[in-house]
Amino acid sequence: MAPGQQRYVVHVLIFTALFAALALSYDLVVGHVGSLSLAHPAFFGVGAYTAAILSTRAAWPFAADLAAAVVAAGLVAALAGVPLFRLVEHAFAVGTLGFALVAWIVATNWVEVTRGPLCITGIPKPVVGVPGGPALAIATLPAYYWLALAALGVVLVLYRLLTTFRLGRAFHAVRDNEVLAASAGIDPLRYRMLAFTIGGALAGGIGALYVHYLSVMCPEEMTVALTVNLLVIVFLGGVGTMRGVLVGAVLFTALPEVLRLAPTWRLVIYGALLLVIVVRSPEGLEGLVRRRASAR
Amino acid sequence: MIADLLELLVHGLTLGSMYAMVAAGLALMLGVARLINFAHGEFFMLGAYVFWFAYRELDVPYPLAGLLAPAVMILFGMVYQRTVIRAILPHSWHVQLIATLATSIVLTNLAIIVFGTQPKEVPTALSSRILDIGGLRMAWQRVLVLAAALVIFWALHRFVTRTRAGRAMRAMSQNREACAVVGVDVQRVAMVAFAVSAALAAAAAALVSPLFNIFPDMGTGLTLKAFAAVVTGGFGYVNGAIAASFLIGVTESFAGSYVSYAYKDAFAFVIMIAVLLWRPQGLFGRRIGI
Repeated sequence: MAPGQQRYVVHVLIFTALFAALALSYDLVVGHVGSLSLAHPAFFGVGAYTAAILSTRAAWPFAADLAAAVVAAGLVAALAGVPLFRLVEHAFAVGTLGFALVAWIVATNWVEVTRGPLCITGIPKPVVGVPGGPALAIATLPAYYWLALAALGVVLVLYRLLTTFRLGRAFHAVRDNEVLAASAGIDPLRYRMLAFTIGGALAGGIGALYVHYLSVMCPEEMTVALTVNLLVIVFLGGVGTMRGVLVGAVLFTALPEVLRLAPTWRLVIYGALLLVIVVRSPEGLEGLVRRRASAR
Repeated sequence: MIADLLELLVHGLTLGSMYAMVAAGLALMLGVARLINFAHGEFFMLGAYVFWFAYRELDVPYPLAGLLAPAVMILFGMVYQRTVIRAILPHSWHVQLIATLATSIVLTNLAIIVFGTQPKEVPTALSSRILDIGGLRMAWQRVLVLAAALVIFWALHRFVTRTRAGRAMRAMSQNREACAVVGVDVQRVAMVAFAVSAALAAAAAALVSPLFNIFPDMGTGLTLKAFAAVVTGGFGYVNGAIAASFLIGVTESFAGSYVSYAYKDAFAFVIMIAVLLWRPQGLFGRRIGI
């Protein structure tokens, strides 16, 4: 491969890792406690802007602004969750979508902080290391690839821990039968809030990694289009399953690179694909594989 | 001063009329089919483009083009119910919501491909003629919007309460199974509900397009605001949704002028969240639907 081509492949791999991590954080809410939140771009955006602002204006080191992004996004998710979880089913979905829209309006118009449509530029490349010890600048594409992969690894471990043991069973109880869960002493609201907050915090952290990679943050990064992308990834692969979401992320980021489509056509195709998937096979590819396996 | 306030009120009521016609259709679909149609704003958008095509490209006179848009969209609503809605009705509400959201994305981006992102202007003779009542100045088009909205809501109310199809809709919003048992053709009533909803959205588009511009992604924000109205007014209660739409329109008009114009699109959701914190069932929420 020519060097340019090689760089391009690494770039696509970085995007795949980041989108997989973001989709997993989203699936914690959608797939495991069964709350169809459409607010994820807002938390992604809060983290992204926190990291962008702190690293450019206050010159915070990478580790500190990443931590701040996680905390800020988690805090916003927890605060937004209080009124939003008073809504059920459809109303919750609409409320969260409205919240995401308001977050985008704020990002576009609060020019003093976010610079609005002018975007925050010149976000430095991350430098990792212990204070006083050796520092490693993540300046090259392969280095960033390893960082993105490490982030995906962290999210994968967290996802596994949160969804398997006692906590995971409580999540699934809330998702599968809210009334029964409540009668067994599992407070649905508490577990939903927990998943929502952790999912939001993780999305914020990935937002920080994303802007450090691109070195620029614009309000367009947090529109409804991001929600559609996440829905496609999660429902294409298989909602509520780790393997399914990972497969969805790989297909989602690789497919458009192979097809080389204009963005408008891309959204038409994604929309149609999403429609066909949810109607024909609501459990996604993972469901198809499982049905095939159990039929054998 | 008083004239300024009245002018803002008229602007707010015009906005409210538009939101109410879209929200009433949403509430109707929600009541009859227990389904939230995320592509409803796209009914408005497509209706506006049908109107633009008839009025500007084919030179059909305004009243006729204005009637043509709802007529075409009634067909579209029926086709939509037959294809997409029938396919998703047996599934969970998650699937229904994602499927209609996907439809909305497809329609919006197809409109971008077909019509381009350049806004279309459709001024009528009425949108530039000004009515002056003792200092209160407004375009005649606004008078038309308000008058037409009154007639449309009166007709909708008569339809829902007096006609057989309307009564069937109210019955279905209370208990679908019982309706099917006593011989109501559930699919047909659902189709009528979708046709009426699409006609309402297209009528709104034909009325307000001469005041604003037409662009492909105008539907998305409108769907969300209409939902905010439906949720604020009491889930699936048509008259509540209409009242909440006017509340949102007037608030947007005043707050956009006195608080912040840049944030005017956020007020609908602020109202919704505030109302839900205070009354989770919505302003006029009650058990009986429509």
